Amino acid sequence: MSVRGDVRIEDRVIFAMGGGGFTMEPNNPLLDDFVLSLTSAKEPRLLFLPTASGDTTAQINAFQARFAGRTYIAEHLSLFRLRAAKRPLEEIVLDQDIIYAGGGSMRNLLAIWQAHGLDRLLVQAWQHGTVLTGLSAGAMCWFQGGVTRSSGPPEPMPGLGLLDGSLTVHADGEPERLPVWLAAVRAGTLPGGWALEDGVGLLFAGRRLQRVVSSRPGAGAQRVDQVAGELVRHRLQPELLGEGPRGALGGTDDAVEELRRVHRMRRGIAGGRD
Amino acid sequence: MERDSSLLDDYVLSLTDSPRPRVCFLPTASGDADHYVVRFYRRFSPGCEASHVSLFRRDQGTGGVEDDLATHLLAQDLIYVGGGNVVSMLGAWRAHGLDDILRKAWRKGVVLCGPSAGSLCWFEEALSAFHGAPRSVAGLGLLPYSNCVHYDAEPERRTEYHRFVGDGMRAGFAAEDGVALHFRRTRLQRVVSSRHDGRAYRVEPTDGGVVETPLKVSHLGADPLPAVTSKCEEPAPEPSSASRRPHRRGARRPAGAQVSERRPVTPEPLPA
Repeated sequence: MSVRGDVRIEDRVIFAMGGGGFTMEPNNPLLDDFVLSLTSAKEPRLLFLPTASGDTTAQINAFQARFAGRTYIAEHLSLFRLRAAKRPLEEIVLDQDIIYAGGGSMRNLLAIWQAHGLDRLLVQAWQHGTVLTGLSAGAMCWFQGGVTRSSGPPEPMPGLGLLDGSLTVHADGEPERLPVWLAAVRAGTLPGGWALEDGVGLLFAGRRLQRVVSSRPGAGAQRVDQVAGELVRHRLQPELLGEGPRGALGGTDDAVEELRRVHRMRRGIAGGRD
Repeated sequence: MERDSSLLDDYVLSLTDSPRPRVCFLPTASGDADHYVVRFYRRFSPGCEASHVSLFRRDQGTGGVEDDLATHLLAQDLIYVGGGNVVSMLGAWRAHGLDDILRKAWRKGVVLCGPSAGSLCWFEEALSAFHGAPRSVAGLGLLPYSNCVHYDAEPERRTEYHRFVGDGMRAGFAAEDGVALHFRRTRLQRVVSSRHDGRAYRVEPTDGGVVETPLKVSHLGADPLPAVTSKCEEPAPEPSSASRRPHRRGARRPAGAQVSERRPVTPEPLPA
């Protein structure tokens, strides 16, 4: 087990996804590729925490399908089948370059992490410079609060608080969440924060939002704050990762289209194809 | 829910005094594993009003019971807690208020039972050896004892349990796989087993050591059951453990099970 010290606050990285990645986008690797790009490790060690789903085999298989062979180690830690874990939890958690938390029940996720002392270990890992990422419950958990549907109807609940503000996810896919979050922010039950549609991720350097990225054309995000009892909403325009399908974000740039026409023409002239 | 025997399930159902008992399954300790839920329904739905509560699938409408958990659980004749990780289970229960609901159910007279994690959870202290070094886990504390399960499955269980009890863990009960401890209120009523050679023990600290006393075990397939005395006395210990068979080995067996019931006969202060 490597003993690592704390890194500067700006070198602590969290990437929070509103929905997406291998469990939700089996045919779209853009967000997961982006996750891998966040570590400078040449042989990254990647740990998946499927806790929020109850450690479903489906999530674990999807994780392996996406990451196996792409990292030095891609392993998962099941807190329901711990017998399979050969090392102490501390050693497993503190010896990673990236820790990826899956979606599911935010309430169960935090309660089970806490029961095993994993919450404290994850804070330590973040302080040591391990990239923390996740989607849905696995994204909201890093903030001061989020909106969970763990008991059925959506309700606000506190998170680990590594990041300031609150987060709500699936703003497009599960529309009943957003109004509950907005009401909680307006009432002051939750601090202001971000609402993310599926496919959108927020990259934080320390506690500062650095980038807003997306795997899907047209997916959006907003920042919402309560000012004097009123909600102030700002739309955020995510950067589309990869090339994206044509027509993304209201159409490809004219200059790019022009360049592509030139390329096609040249190939046609040179090889007689296309 | 032993794969090869329904004796323990039949026994616990017999405690409900109902021709068609309402039985609710809590598969929390397994992460609400689908195959476990299916196994439960296969075993219990023919003769019971069977239901389950999943704490992981409630947002998807596949959580079994969707309405008020407390109302549903308090209306059961039997609550069956599945095996798995006791620490994860207790954490999730507390987050959903299930710990309080189960205490209420017990006071109301609902029979509580379960194997492995589903046994450990009812006790004040439990020896969990699910991962890494064994450790003491605080259960719901309905039964003011400690508990150790799978006593025969792994040789180090016995050594560790003795060590913990010697070091201050409260006195308690150890059960081998296939053996169930039946408590009424907080008194041990009977020890029953689905296997002819199933064993259970009372483990207590003594001056400078630990004493392990074998308990009389009724084999459900053969022995007539001893009468349950109204005074709730503990079963007489067997005189000697000298004839104890060697540890059985082989395929993993279903866990030692535990049955706890409390009838609202005479009000009695509960353990804290």
